[in-house]
Amino acid sequence: MKAEKGKDQVFSRHLTGKSASEHLSNFNKLLAGLMGSSEGKPEVLDDTTVIEISHANFPALISASILGEFGAEVIKVEPPDGDPARKVSHYGINVEGIGIPFLMESRNKQHITLDLKTGKGIENLKKLITQSDIVIDGMKPGFLDSLGVGYQQCAELKPGLVYLAVSPYGHFASKGKAFSNIPDTDLTAQSEAGYPALIGNPEAPEPYNYPVKAGVWAASYMSAALAVSGALTALFYKRRTGEGQMVDIASYDAISSWQGYSTIWGANFRMPRARVGNFDWSIFPYGYYEAKDGFVTIAAGSDQDFRGLLKIFKRWDLEEDWEFVFDRITDDVDKLKELETEFKKEIVQHTRKELVQKTLAYSQKAARDKLRGKGFPIAVETLTPKEVLNEEHWKVRKSFVEADAGGTKIKMPSPAPKLSDTPLRLKKIECGLGAHNKQVYKKFGLNE
Amino acid sequence: MKQDYFTYTDGLFDRSKISEKPEALKGIRVLDLTHIIFGSVISKWLALFGAEVIKVEEPYEGDAWRMASYWAKYWKDSSPFFQCLHPNKQFVGIDLKTPKGKELVLELAQKADVVVENFRAGLTEAWGIGYTTISKINPKVIYVSCSGYGQWGPLRFFPSWDLIAQSMSGVAQLTGFGEKQTYKLPDYYGDFMPGIFGAMGALGALNQREKTGKGQFIDVSQVEVLFRMMHHWSYMDVTGEDLPCTGNVDPTMAPSGIFKTQDEQFISIAIATDEQFTALLKAMDRMDLSQDPRFRETFERLKPDRADAICEIVEAWVKKKQGSDIIALAQEWGFPAAPVMDDLQIANDEWRRERGSVVEFEDDMYGKGTWPGTAAALEKTPGRIKSLQRPIGYHNHYVLQKVLNLSKEQIRELEKNHVIGYWGNSIGQRPPAYYDMSKDPIVNFTEGEEK
Repeated sequence: MKAEKGKDQVFSRHLTGKSASEHLSNFNKLLAGLMGSSEGKPEVLDDTTVIEISHANFPALISASILGEFGAEVIKVEPPDGDPARKVSHYGINVEGIGIPFLMESRNKQHITLDLKTGKGIENLKKLITQSDIVIDGMKPGFLDSLGVGYQQCAELKPGLVYLAVSPYGHFASKGKAFSNIPDTDLTAQSEAGYPALIGNPEAPEPYNYPVKAGVWAASYMSAALAVSGALTALFYKRRTGEGQMVDIASYDAISSWQGYSTIWGANFRMPRARVGNFDWSIFPYGYYEAKDGFVTIAAGSDQDFRGLLKIFKRWDLEEDWEFVFDRITDDVDKLKELETEFKKEIVQHTRKELVQKTLAYSQKAARDKLRGKGFPIAVETLTPKEVLNEEHWKVRKSFVEADAGGTKIKMPSPAPKLSDTPLRLKKIECGLGAHNKQVYKKFGLNE
Repeated sequence: MKQDYFTYTDGLFDRSKISEKPEALKGIRVLDLTHIIFGSVISKWLALFGAEVIKVEEPYEGDAWRMASYWAKYWKDSSPFFQCLHPNKQFVGIDLKTPKGKELVLELAQKADVVVENFRAGLTEAWGIGYTTISKINPKVIYVSCSGYGQWGPLRFFPSWDLIAQSMSGVAQLTGFGEKQTYKLPDYYGDFMPGIFGAMGALGALNQREKTGKGQFIDVSQVEVLFRMMHHWSYMDVTGEDLPCTGNVDPTMAPSGIFKTQDEQFISIAIATDEQFTALLKAMDRMDLSQDPRFRETFERLKPDRADAICEIVEAWVKKKQGSDIIALAQEWGFPAAPVMDDLQIANDEWRRERGSVVEFEDDMYGKGTWPGTAAALEKTPGRIKSLQRPIGYHNHYVLQKVLNLSKEQIRELEKNHVIGYWGNSIGQRPPAYYDMSKDPIVNFTEGEEK
């Protein structure tokens, strides 16, 4: 976002002045060079082999994909008729029989088939395990154990192995056992974690007043990131001590355990939160509002930020009644709606661009204030994914790549985060069923 | 006879044995220059698994999130929503605006394995405590910079919060029923999700450093992490169309939705595979539908009109059932279903206590409380809570003596010159009213007088 004169718009007085500007401009160039390319750089997991055994289990499948981005040799083991995750697809739309979620998370993997119903299949799997460093168990808890290739047996086959189990209710504890037969999906995982209970508007007509799910795979991706973090923590311990271990992730508990706020609210208030629509439990305004030509997102949490917004809207008359954070909380939603109504009246009179420019100009000026008392209200356009792709910044950073998926180029998000010396990479997507049987069988000495 | 699998695994993860087990990240020192949520949860993960985390705050100001609490309710003068982000951390108060304060931070950075910061992009560079400075004095350092848009590129200085990142990534428009009924992802998903990706990056770099001894720079952009979890880019590319907001239907699964039961419970059902579809039909006693050409095969069943049709059938079935019956059937037949839990159920859930994701912890300063624990269970090196938040500067004497080998006199000098400082009296900063600081062994720490 450039200000009118082509100079960078900054929001701290520490970022202004000649020497700071020069240093920051050099730093920008340095990073563009340092982070811009992965060519010739090493990979964190170039010494690590991962065996993924999963069945319609995206948290497991995504964690293997991320370990692949870190440079691991990932071998996905499928039954002869394939992992049904292949068919999970938006409205049935697929690329040569494969849905987008599976395509997107086959990063750098090799796909082989093994029939675990046969003795030969099990023997081959054991051979793979003895030559691997991480096994991802995305099957029903206890299933691999019953085949003789669970953690207990794996730890004997390959001392030092990290065994990453990813399932809805986990591989231990009461619900782990009681609900071991319930498979994973993002929606059911969100539900058990209490997430939809926090989203939506109870005053809308039925069924729009129901709890609402997150419109992205909030649970599956969070589970996967937790699983990878758990595996990397265990791998670090292994590098120092030689000891492997079992890591267990319950995807149905991922959001609730990592964000943790439900536990705190429930334990302290001894009641569940009511859904509050577009409001937030601790900040106002902090939500989406209708402008003249579409939606904007406005965040102005502190008293200073709020006062800044009143000045921008020339609504100082509201200051007396709503001065403090404690006046602007949702314990009394009806009262807060009075304030919201006043805000909405102002916001709708401006275009999105006007609101962004007004708040940024105000905040840029306020940031130079030595006492920092003038606040930092923010408004941005509430972008659609399509609008996002127009932003030059993401092109500069190569935040999207055209991945080669078996001859078809498909736009995909680049790996995140960005590491300077061992960048994560999306090297290839080759996810035909059994596409790597030949190489892998040969390399690991498996029986045809 | 072979032991039952769950008896075996319950033994592996036995929570009564945690204090006897080692910590994976013991010996790793983290200089924590974070505030609010995004950066703070990266160091939270590291602290839970045994790293020594030193959080630096501005004296008498501190982390602005200290006073942020839902409904502005506090617990023993602290925000429990701040508490849960800061287990096992050490709190020092250093005034970075003083040259000597900056020097102290650089000395701590020199002795750190990981530095995490989430100031506005470029600020640590402008202050002289950025990657370019610290990597020179400590080439082994892993420097994690967290920001909305990353540290380079034209948008780098643009402001961000959780919700701003949701808006700038396109996530904002995707939850709910369309433009006028669009909701944000609550509880600061735009901070917690990038946070766990940041921890992942730091852990990757720690693994690399074991091999090479070299540190590196990590650039975590909130928005890029949110991009990483969206199917929309590929969908738009393949179809040339937008993937709209779909309410409670997951367009990759049919049937799917959140339904209301006879006893007015909300439960979700989502069917990802043919096998699960058969299981559901058996549970519904509707095997006649298994031969219906509209539903027989996954790709066909997912087409919008068919998905709608099967959702309606399921909705009508659920309406005649008790919530608990549906969960029992899901377990019996093997299809994905779950109740929509609420905060109270989660806080009281026995299963979550057994897993260690909800823990009862008794803190030396704050006493007993219920907290979110660890989100990943590690058998041999389990994460654990050892302490809660402390006031700003509580560990000044401890850290400056232990880590920087300063003498009591040198520390007094720093106090006198306002280079280091302590908590203010506002809520979120001050210790609980009943707590007697004069007898506290850490705040009054003197090397050599340890028990």
